[in-house]
Amino acid sequence: MAMAALRREGRRFAAPLISNNPINPLHSSFAPAKEQALLGVRSISTQIVRNRMKSVRNIQKITKAMKMVAASKLRAIQTRAENSRGLWQPFTALLGDTPSVDVKKNVIVTISSDKGLCGGINSTSVKISRALHKLNSGPDKESKYVVLGEKAKAQLVRDSKKNIELILTELQKNPLNYTQVSVLADDILKNVEYDALRIVFNKFQSVVSFLPTTATVLSPEVVEREAESGGKLGELDSYEIEGGETKSEILQNLSEFQFSCVLFNAVLENACSEQGARMSAMDSSSRNAGEMLDRLTLTYNRTRQASITTELIEIISGASALEG
Amino acid sequence: MFTILSFKVDMVIVPATTGQMGILPGHTASISELKPGVLSIHDGNDVKKYFVSSGFAFIHSNSVADIMAAEAVPIEQVDPASVQKQFTEFTQKLSSASTDLEKAEAQIRVDVLVALNSALSG
Repeated sequence: MAMAALRREGRRFAAPLISNNPINPLHSSFAPAKEQALLGVRSISTQIVRNRMKSVRNIQKITKAMKMVAASKLRAIQTRAENSRGLWQPFTALLGDTPSVDVKKNVIVTISSDKGLCGGINSTSVKISRALHKLNSGPDKESKYVVLGEKAKAQLVRDSKKNIELILTELQKNPLNYTQVSVLADDILKNVEYDALRIVFNKFQSVVSFLPTTATVLSPEVVEREAESGGKLGELDSYEIEGGETKSEILQNLSEFQFSCVLFNAVLENACSEQGARMSAMDSSSRNAGEMLDRLTLTYNRTRQASITTELIEIISGASALEG
Repeated sequence: MFTILSFKVDMVIVPATTGQMGILPGHTASISELKPGVLSIHDGNDVKKYFVSSGFAFIHSNSVADIMAAEAVPIEQVDPASVQKQFTEFTQKLSSASTDLEKAEAQIRVDVLVALNSALSG
């Protein structure tokens, strides 16, 4: 974004060089256009270059500040995200994570950020969601979207508007906590029919690396079906189910609890990745602005020296014309 | 906030919906739903008590138990005075509740507060 603004300014910078025609008594007004262009350089450029340098310097300061802010936010949220990983690990140990499960109704929950300037993480999430959607659309299969976050909403509304069930934004207005996410999960579970929920988010590995991941949560009926057919879930039957009236009731509660835990972890990890990506984006932006500033300083000095030289030449040639 | 605690202990007592359940090493594999109550962890002569709001307990056949709670508070951090006050307040609300939803909500609160009360006194 910062670079686009600078590019626009660049075009404006070039224009005055050609169009300005100062009246110079030492040269005839019939001088060819090229010479007039060179004359134009003399009197106007230093001011323009100085203005550009000021704006680039401001942009550099802003992006540096944004990087610091993102770094502090990341520190605050990183420990919470790492702690919340333990939430879904028992579920995965028990029920397994089966992204390759084949079900009729898929719901793809795409998690993205509300604010921009965070690099490419939102685009990767949307790309994966679209790929999942394509994979899971067929003669008797269908998939719908639930969108969390403004950025994914903007991208998905363009071409998949009719497939979007629910859009939720402004998640990070208040600091993320489990209660808020469980209310969200409740909302989604109530309004959407599903056999499998696929949550797409960016897993936070380190400040510079984020892994786009899909977490799959199955509905209780599908869990039963898979348990009967054997495989990882076949061991589920060896567990005694205590409490409640029927096994399916427990499985229902279990699946809902699993969804809210996995969603909580996914939202936290995505928030971490967002801050990390913003840090690196702002960092490269400041570095870019610094390089641009160096180039502009060189241009500024060159134009300044050129104008001094032309003035000297005029004075000296004027003086020698008087003598000789 | 979430803290993950993981250690080797002698026994854990969880408040399952079917009542207090004691889990010792070698327990059969089981999935149980928890109701609000006291979770106590016994390690030798050391007993740590937490009040959990609700959740699930998975017991695996390799003597590993996973206890997942939506909220867990060490019992020392629970304030008895406010528990008493809220208890009287919500028993009143329960008797004066009009709609089914209000009744259910008030009932849930009363149940939790009863459990808290007994946890503090017991």
